[in-house]
Amino acid sequence: MMLRKHRQIPRRVLAGATGALAALVAVTLTGCGAGGGTTASGDDSITVLVEAGGHGELQPIADQFEKDTGTSVTFVELPYDGLYNRLNSEFSSGALSFDVAALDSIWLPTFAEALTPLDDMMTDDVQSDLFPALVTEAQVDGSFVGMPAWTNSEILYYRTDLFEDPAQQAAFKAEYGYDLVPPTTWEQYADIAAFFTQDTDGDGQVDVFGTDVKGAVETEWLATLSQTGETEMVVGDDGAVSLGDAESLEALDFYTSLLPYAPSGAAQLDWAGSQNLFNQGQLAMMRFWAHAYKQIPADSAVAGNVGVTTMIGGPGGVAGVPGAWYLSVPSGTSKQEKALEFVQYAYDHNELSVDTDLGLASRISVLEQYQDEPGYENYGPLIDTLNAASTIPRPANPQWQEIVDSALIPMIQKAVVPGADNQKLLDEAKAQVESIIG
Amino acid sequence: MNGLETTRISSRVILWIALVLLVVLYGFPFLYMLLTSFKTPLETIAVPPTVLPSTWTIENYASAIGRDGVVASFVNSVVTAVLSTLISLVLAVPAAYAVTRFRTRFGRFFIVGALVMRMVPPIVIGVPMIAIFRNLGISDTSFALAIAHATISLPLSIWLMSSFFEAVPEELEEAAKIDGASRLGALWRVVLPVTAGGVAVTAIFAFLASWNEFLFALLLTATRSQTTPIVIANFQTQFGLDWGAMTALAVLYSVPVILLALVLQRHIVAGLTAGAVKG
Repeated sequence: MMLRKHRQIPRRVLAGATGALAALVAVTLTGCGAGGGTTASGDDSITVLVEAGGHGELQPIADQFEKDTGTSVTFVELPYDGLYNRLNSEFSSGALSFDVAALDSIWLPTFAEALTPLDDMMTDDVQSDLFPALVTEAQVDGSFVGMPAWTNSEILYYRTDLFEDPAQQAAFKAEYGYDLVPPTTWEQYADIAAFFTQDTDGDGQVDVFGTDVKGAVETEWLATLSQTGETEMVVGDDGAVSLGDAESLEALDFYTSLLPYAPSGAAQLDWAGSQNLFNQGQLAMMRFWAHAYKQIPADSAVAGNVGVTTMIGGPGGVAGVPGAWYLSVPSGTSKQEKALEFVQYAYDHNELSVDTDLGLASRISVLEQYQDEPGYENYGPLIDTLNAASTIPRPANPQWQEIVDSALIPMIQKAVVPGADNQKLLDEAKAQVESIIG
Repeated sequence: MNGLETTRISSRVILWIALVLLVVLYGFPFLYMLLTSFKTPLETIAVPPTVLPSTWTIENYASAIGRDGVVASFVNSVVTAVLSTLISLVLAVPAAYAVTRFRTRFGRFFIVGALVMRMVPPIVIGVPMIAIFRNLGISDTSFALAIAHATISLPLSIWLMSSFFEAVPEELEEAAKIDGASRLGALWRVVLPVTAGGVAVTAIFAFLASWNEFLFALLLTATRSQTTPIVIANFQTQFGLDWGAMTALAVLYSVPVILLALVLQRHIVAGLTAGAVKG
């Protein structure tokens, strides 16, 4: 009885499983899957590998490209870390699934050997329409391996409702002896950050901080480092590591000197956290990437009250870190011609990226064309910061990502803990970087 | 009330407190994710964060579902997980049966080897798989991803099924053979029905291993077979994090496996119990 009962179950299971298996095998062996589009296996199509956030920048260009040339563009979106791993894996295995990749500038040296040189595309006219740091970054071992698709840099955000408040202006002048205007120097930034760290509702708790201090990212400290006048960022062309020198200590000291005017939890504060704090109205000023200007929610506490200006300067002057993304063509793709055509097209139609969620472009002429139009107030500060003499690119070192993850970010996270010995941390980080680059 | 009863009640209270704490510990992250998915975009990033939404909205769900590729990724996840489960079961059942019934030296080596393979980091086999699947012409297909996922679930499936088969008395098979069944017939008609709960448990673990897998999906899929974990991760970009849509999609993606676990709860418990006691 027991056995008979059990005998009936597997028959039903068998029938169901066989049917399901047949259907699934039929679906999958025909190479379908539900898909998100068609694979770019035909001659009239190319596949572009892109970080999810950058897809929007390239979509209008791809749409126009298809209209003009008949070649469709399929995007494969991946998260930032995942994109790096995917590129690494595919270049290692030699089996490529893409024809063009949008690469973060810091990855170009790592993958340069597997990329097609774009020297013919980088004419003098093209180079003259790009920021100097971007032209430098695009070259690895004397050959151009990436065409800038869009660029970014930190600029200074500030709350106009606070800066234009007559009571605040008067109080600031009385305390510091000069007018309250958006800061241009470290000293002014520190003064204003201290001034705006206030208990506005009288409950005994600070509810507006003058600034933030980001401990979980490295780029803002690198910008501070450039502002000291350091000419080689962390690793020089000759492989010498500059961490621990007077400039790096000066940069780290200034960076951490802002901690009393910033919310607690600096060690864990990253870009997203900082952006949230500012949009919540909890920061009077923020140094942040230019794209954030277009991302301020309409219902946020600061909407309509945000001003932007050029990044602050230190003893070496104004400086930011260029955050460009480049279009590159892997030398292993069989669709070289179409891939190169798309890269050239993206440069030629760079203005199509302006009206997107991020609204970033790479060509100076495009940014200058829009900088005076409403909604593009971030372009002027972006141009000025990227054109500043002290703005230099990150080192063209294949181990840069590892240097960032293993040495720089841990160093900064330890430095933002009160009482940290900055010189010791820099020396330790220097040893770490030296062991990485051998 | 005597001392023994007092002690028993105290133990029960402590046990309940511990259980409640454990449930809260495990359940709160999911509850917070669920509540966040109903917050307005601004409230999802509030500092300090709120637990309950001040304004309830389904805007995040509309935003998540409306995003290109989300629905397709769901279908891909289902197809891949089912295929991977079937591959695991089809291979694990005979393998585990052979190991437990024939008890050869090779069998013991094989089952230890299967466990050792479970320890190999997925990335080690992920990179070669890119080239292998490309050469086979099955790149970016759910079938290829299911094979990759089977490398994760198969060792576990073999071990699980082995423990379930061990629990089945060999006398049952001998009785079937006396009635004229072949060895395979006995396996199919007697052993598998008896271990149906164990098969269900193994299937669920294999399904979950595929459903939640990220690395192989990242390396091996593109436009045609991308699964939902990749799409969820794409909500965090270098330029921002869409908490609302991300949590909404994560909730939606959790629902099928929660339902599956609830529906098969009895089988899971029965199967685990069966596997725990050797006959």
